[in-house]
Amino acid sequence: MVEFLSEIGAVFGRWIRKTLRRPAFLFFSLVQPIVWFVLFTQAFQSISNIRQPLPGGGFLTFADFTGTDSYLTFFSAAVIIQTIIASAMQSGLGLVADMESGYMDKMRVAPIRRFSILTGKVLSDGFRILIQTLVIVALAFALGVQFASGFAGLLLILLLAAGFGIAWSGISIFIALKTRNSEATLMISILTTFPLLFLSTAVMPKAFLPEWVQTVATYNPISYVADAFHSLTITGFDWSVLGYAGLVTAVVAGLTLTTSSASFRRAVAG
Amino acid sequence: MNLCGRIVEKAETDETLYQRGVFADRMSRADPIVRVEDLVKVYEPNVRAVDGISFHVDRGEIFGFLGPNGAGKTTTIKVLTTLLRKTSGKAVVDGIDVERDPGAIRRIIGYAAQEVGVDEDLTGTENLRLQCRFYHIPSVEIDGRVRDLVKTVDLEEAADRPARTYSGGMRKRLDLGMALIHRPKLLFLDEPTTGLDPQNRRALWDYIQSLNDSGTTIFLTTQYMEEADRLADRLCIIDHGRIVAEGTPATLKAEIGADVIEVSLKANGNADVRERAKGLLAVLPGVREVRDYEDGLAVYSQSGSTLLPQIVRALDGAGTEIERLSLSVPSLDDVFLRHTGHKLRVEQVKPASRTPYMGFGPRRRA
Repeated sequence: MVEFLSEIGAVFGRWIRKTLRRPAFLFFSLVQPIVWFVLFTQAFQSISNIRQPLPGGGFLTFADFTGTDSYLTFFSAAVIIQTIIASAMQSGLGLVADMESGYMDKMRVAPIRRFSILTGKVLSDGFRILIQTLVIVALAFALGVQFASGFAGLLLILLLAAGFGIAWSGISIFIALKTRNSEATLMISILTTFPLLFLSTAVMPKAFLPEWVQTVATYNPISYVADAFHSLTITGFDWSVLGYAGLVTAVVAGLTLTTSSASFRRAVAG
Repeated sequence: MNLCGRIVEKAETDETLYQRGVFADRMSRADPIVRVEDLVKVYEPNVRAVDGISFHVDRGEIFGFLGPNGAGKTTTIKVLTTLLRKTSGKAVVDGIDVERDPGAIRRIIGYAAQEVGVDEDLTGTENLRLQCRFYHIPSVEIDGRVRDLVKTVDLEEAADRPARTYSGGMRKRLDLGMALIHRPKLLFLDEPTTGLDPQNRRALWDYIQSLNDSGTTIFLTTQYMEEADRLADRLCIIDHGRIVAEGTPATLKAEIGADVIEVSLKANGNADVRERAKGLLAVLPGVREVRDYEDGLAVYSQSGSTLLPQIVRALDGAGTEIERLSLSVPSLDDVFLRHTGHKLRVEQVKPASRTPYMGFGPRRRA
């Protein structure tokens, strides 16, 4: 058991170190959320002024649906999710690079468990995403977002972000091992990420979405995670929303990690 | 060179000393460290990369696989290092079947692939430390081992720079160091000097030799006959997935037992001309054997230089024009040629053991 943990720790440490050695990656993972914050909250400022007429007269406002009249506050969740997904989608690339460079074979001839190679990698992705989320939260705070759930809520946000990141990195690993091609993996990731993000409740409260989008959003796992982030940011602890988010994340993780570890086992079996 | 005096000090037990002594031959024959029988590897859909080979590697020796690209060398190594599943046959490393307990084999072997497997983002030291963790080396020992290995592979100055900044030779040395971190009994080197310049190649040869001197058994593949000749105690010549010859470099060359004269004919494509020339040459006094090879005919003789004028006269008299003539003392290349009917083709760094020329008399001998 100690040996097992030490193996995972070694692999984990390697990936964290590699991330830190790539200043360009660090730079862009910091700049991207800033760009999102600035672009979207400026361009879509008036979203929070939208009113929905009620049948009996009067209006429901943005604040009635979301609990805040600041689109910036609402949008923080979308920035976090976008960052999680973009970062998680990198996950498989590292494994493919290892296979191409021969480093994977170096690990495969060593008496290290195959499971440790994958687990250490996925955990390092989760950790990286946790740190990136922390940066976004700090950024949001600096821009004036008040986190309703306080410090405990912040910890939950980080935990959920890391968990959802790990779940999503399973998809990247699966695609990367199937295609063995970095460009293809990135293309597929971009093509799936944006539709999924905009067909969820991350950027717009559900009631303001067209009907068909509402239907898609109901089946989109991202919506549940977005709802949890919204709740923790705007209103506080809503345990049924948080429970759904945890459940959806666990189910997605279960699916993606079993399929990706199966294809990983096949890839390293020889 | 202090290489591996330290690395393999543990392997230098009474047992290995004994084996390297007088009774080495008898002992090792009874208990080879690698035993391969009828090994077959078929890649889908239908490429027989390894086509029923059998051989063994004795404890303490440097064993060589000599053959061109695509001969099946790497495939064989990958089966023995547990990286690739065989199609059929038997492969046993240190008494352990490769597919029964790959984990046990991984603990006692080291492997340096043809392409170096170093992490370019990490420094030399970090690469070695990580390798220690992969081999479950106790943390108290890690610092010492890494320090010794850095010295051994001569990377002291560059140890704390990212491997990305290393030259080809430095990467190769780091890669070798990584393969040695757990002091393996048996080291697999897949074309260790391919792509290195002559100076680095020679240095690596010395490393490999001293590693072996301190007790590590080495299984090496190469496409350079000079390398096989210099390093291997025993070698197999492999071509198209089959072993075509086996023995020590000396016995293999002695089998040829003579000088080799290669005769290329202008009308080489014409089978009649070729057959006629073959008949003419075979009856010349002093000719032991005449064989076909792709560029013409190979004449084996005890005294090549005196035979040259006779060959020219005989062919001239029959009106057969000679394109090119060359004479060499037997090299492993001739052994390869004799067994496969073609030459070992290596694009780069061709050893100057044979000099083609038009005219009489040998120019330069290997």
